[in-house]
Amino acid sequence: MEDLFCKDCTFYLPVDVFKGICKLSKEKISPDKPLCESGKQIPKCRFCKSYTAEKEYLGKCQGTILAYPDMIASKCADFQWNNQN
Amino acid sequence: MNTTAQTHINYYGNKPDDEVTSCGSKRQPTSRAHAARELYFEAKSSVSIEFPYWYTRRWEALDGEIPIVRRAEALKAGFEHLTPVIYPGELLTMGKASYLRGSYPMPWLSEAFFMAAEDDLYKEAQESGKLTADSFTTMGKGGGNVTKSAGNVISIAGKFGLRLEELPAMLEVAKKWKNKSVDDVGHKYEQLVPGYKEKEALMRSVICMFDSGYTLPQGREVMNYYYPLQFGIDGIIQNCHDRIAEVAGYPDMDRIYFYKAVILTLEGIKHWIVNYAAEADFLASIETEARQKTEYLEMAERLTWISANPPRSFHDALQMLWIFHVAVLNEDAISGLSPGRVGQVLYPFWQRDMKNGVIDREKSLELLECMRIKFTEIDCFASMGVVGGVLSGNTFNNLCLGGLLKDGTSAANELEILILEAGITCDTPQPTLSLLYDEKLPEEFLLKGIECTKTGTGYPAWINNQVAMEFLLGNYGHEGLHLEEARAWAIGGCLETSPGSWMPLELDHEIHWIPGGSAPATSVGVHFLNLPKLLEVVIFNGMDMRTGQRIFPPHGYNLDDYAEIWQAFKDYFSRACHVLTLANNIQHDAWRKISPSLVNSMLKPDCLTKGKDIGQMGCRYNTTFNIETCGTTNLVNSLGSMKKNIFTEHNYSLDEYRKAILANFGYKTAKETGSWSLIDQVPGEDHHLWKKIHRQSLDAPKFGNDNPFVDNILKEWEEWFCKMAHNYRSLYDQPMYACQISVSTHGPMGAVTLAGPDGRLSGTTFSDGSVSAYPGTDKNGPYALFNSATCWNHAESQNSQLNMKIHPSVVKGREGSRKFLELIRAYLRKGGFHVQFNIVDSRMLKQAQADPDKYRSLLVRVAGFTQYWVELGKQIQDEVISRTEYEEF
Repeated sequence: MEDLFCKDCTFYLPVDVFKGICKLSKEKISPDKPLCESGKQIPKCRFCKSYTAEKEYLGKCQGTILAYPDMIASKCADFQWNNQN
Repeated sequence: MNTTAQTHINYYGNKPDDEVTSCGSKRQPTSRAHAARELYFEAKSSVSIEFPYWYTRRWEALDGEIPIVRRAEALKAGFEHLTPVIYPGELLTMGKASYLRGSYPMPWLSEAFFMAAEDDLYKEAQESGKLTADSFTTMGKGGGNVTKSAGNVISIAGKFGLRLEELPAMLEVAKKWKNKSVDDVGHKYEQLVPGYKEKEALMRSVICMFDSGYTLPQGREVMNYYYPLQFGIDGIIQNCHDRIAEVAGYPDMDRIYFYKAVILTLEGIKHWIVNYAAEADFLASIETEARQKTEYLEMAERLTWISANPPRSFHDALQMLWIFHVAVLNEDAISGLSPGRVGQVLYPFWQRDMKNGVIDREKSLELLECMRIKFTEIDCFASMGVVGGVLSGNTFNNLCLGGLLKDGTSAANELEILILEAGITCDTPQPTLSLLYDEKLPEEFLLKGIECTKTGTGYPAWINNQVAMEFLLGNYGHEGLHLEEARAWAIGGCLETSPGSWMPLELDHEIHWIPGGSAPATSVGVHFLNLPKLLEVVIFNGMDMRTGQRIFPPHGYNLDDYAEIWQAFKDYFSRACHVLTLANNIQHDAWRKISPSLVNSMLKPDCLTKGKDIGQMGCRYNTTFNIETCGTTNLVNSLGSMKKNIFTEHNYSLDEYRKAILANFGYKTAKETGSWSLIDQVPGEDHHLWKKIHRQSLDAPKFGNDNPFVDNILKEWEEWFCKMAHNYRSLYDQPMYACQISVSTHGPMGAVTLAGPDGRLSGTTFSDGSVSAYPGTDKNGPYALFNSATCWNHAESQNSQLNMKIHPSVVKGREGSRKFLELIRAYLRKGGFHVQFNIVDSRMLKQAQADPDKYRSLLVRVAGFTQYWVELGKQIQDEVISRTEYEEF
């Protein structure tokens, strides 16, 4: 299981590239803070079955299309959780 | 006289040393708007690549599709995949990207400037002069600017932050547009223009600031919200289906692709709104606080409704207006997308709600404050030269008030009074306000405007309604614009006079004629021409002495008399306009082919009727390209000094002037001193050699003192420039026109310009605007300045710009308000087009420069826009500080 952070959480509301707000606690938080117990993973490319990592911060979707691991995929119609994560 | 402390004035501006005076106690916004603004103050400009990623992915998948349909599919994919972000307490929601001050690169326009410096794309752009202005721009160091990379955040253009984990993907996406972007394709073909190398030389020397075709191809125009307000999204979609059925298979086939593209784009926008509605529902499901929960549920219901239908209430209508404003901003890199006369557009909805008890004034004010916060959150992702050097980080969403109705009576209304009130209680840079002054406007309304200007926000700017209408009738008359239609105008961007149309909004079986923009961008083309630098090139026979590069062939004049100087200047200016017009027409042609406007096109009359987008002249009015200038006052003062010192009194030869200019009159350079205003310049060791010539240059007559010797030079320039601009033809084969605003270009353009015959020193910032006096040189009071400024007919130009700084003590109290209004009236009655004010004590600005953290919320007026002091570059800060401060009228 890889490390997860607030930026990987469905309750994370980004304010800017440095900080966000926790939708549950309403507190300001860093996106790089480890995910807490109340946290819930948001769909991202790197959690998707169709994603293949290639190099740091880059990969492929469905084997051919450029993708990047940290992109939020909650609006992607093809997203499927990769249970190995 | 301009001050009670005459001894404090030197040649370069004021150095007052008494106690700092503030504008008095400020009113506060509602707690909701206050909280939102505090969050804004904490937020940094942030870039996400979600939209460009999906846009590019879809674009790549559709190779071979009809270009406009392919573009629509790409836009649709971008909108559909934007992650919704709703901030606590919001009454209006949605934004450009998934950050509070979010924006994103649009590599289909230009991809070079945000590449790494070692990348080939970046190097090519640098070589062609496209990035030179970046090197001479100072960005604001505070506020929301991400000036340095740190930790997991990369700084781009000294302003925007990008998460490190998105950087490789951003670069990969950008590279996919190599040789395909508007910038690259335009560059390929602009080189076919005879004399193209001269264009590159003009860019490298920063005689011309930037190309508009791929930097900011839209904007400086007025939105038109009529169609969504009247028909709703589904109504427009249905209209497009009906139109397709009418035109499919008939000649002029491009219409079906346009309608199809509009449908696709609207489907994307619908999806985007529905995604926000779902997020609001989700937030309601986890919210524990009852009131917030209710507000989320109401928001979800409202968004769901307007994703398909026309608005039912003022709140619905304001949300709808905001959505379409952002939707246009998301299709192109845009500055100066003005909402226009919002108080008149929304008045029928507001009036009905007030009558039915749906809303009261208190709630209306709160909503209008929320609107101010949302507009202030807008950021525009562009290169440093554009976002800093031109825009100072501003986005110029100008909201206009007053003016006349279709029938020629006063258009001021109660909602506009509330908009002014919201501008007072919730002072933010956006939307900036402009009051379209007409003699028919009621005194109560004008005094409310005065109350707002007095608070020191810099808005509303005061604009002459009749002068604007005269310009519009002259410029668009041949396209059918008539007097009644001229009354529908508004300011697009900071100060671009833009035509409008009256649209028949039907509510409860009653027709309300609402104004809306009726033209595409009214300020694209030749952007901006550095007038003092062009004079420098004349003096040195075609050479840029800063770089040692030749710009033009030798002009062939001995410059033995003033007439030859003037003729050589006109020759070079015309030469620059010629090549820049042709190159820019090609760039804009690339834009309309590769990245045609769809959202803005569907909104503007008569694109839907004609079945043509903006780029195909679908709009009602299309005479919209211009030639913009910067540094008028320094040019005029320099010509005046040469006329007097060289050709009238023979104090010096031109050669002596050349030497003095190259020696910077014996002063250190602005770069060495770290200050960009004359006020702080430091003499060098051999200053004594140049002291006399410098003194006599400064003593030569200066614009702004009602002195015909120099004012006639301005008059001669204006009468020539405003006419000659019509000699150039735009992409749409329409005559171009003069536009005279500096925005922030007087900073970087001054930075590349050597000392001038007016005594200005090398690298220092020019005078702002076009009829503002050079700091410290207007010594005969405001009325003398007004006489100088109105020595020519402002209706011949799209605009003129006058900025003044007034000490707060002068306009104190009711008596001060009356005096202030009379001052403004006096200028506008003389035929002045525009005047705006900083009501501020210069000492406060000095303090703010030294200790920016204590002045996060301080607003100043620059040149057509209000901006947070801490987000301005030092070039502009120094110039604003040094402006003449009037301490009595």
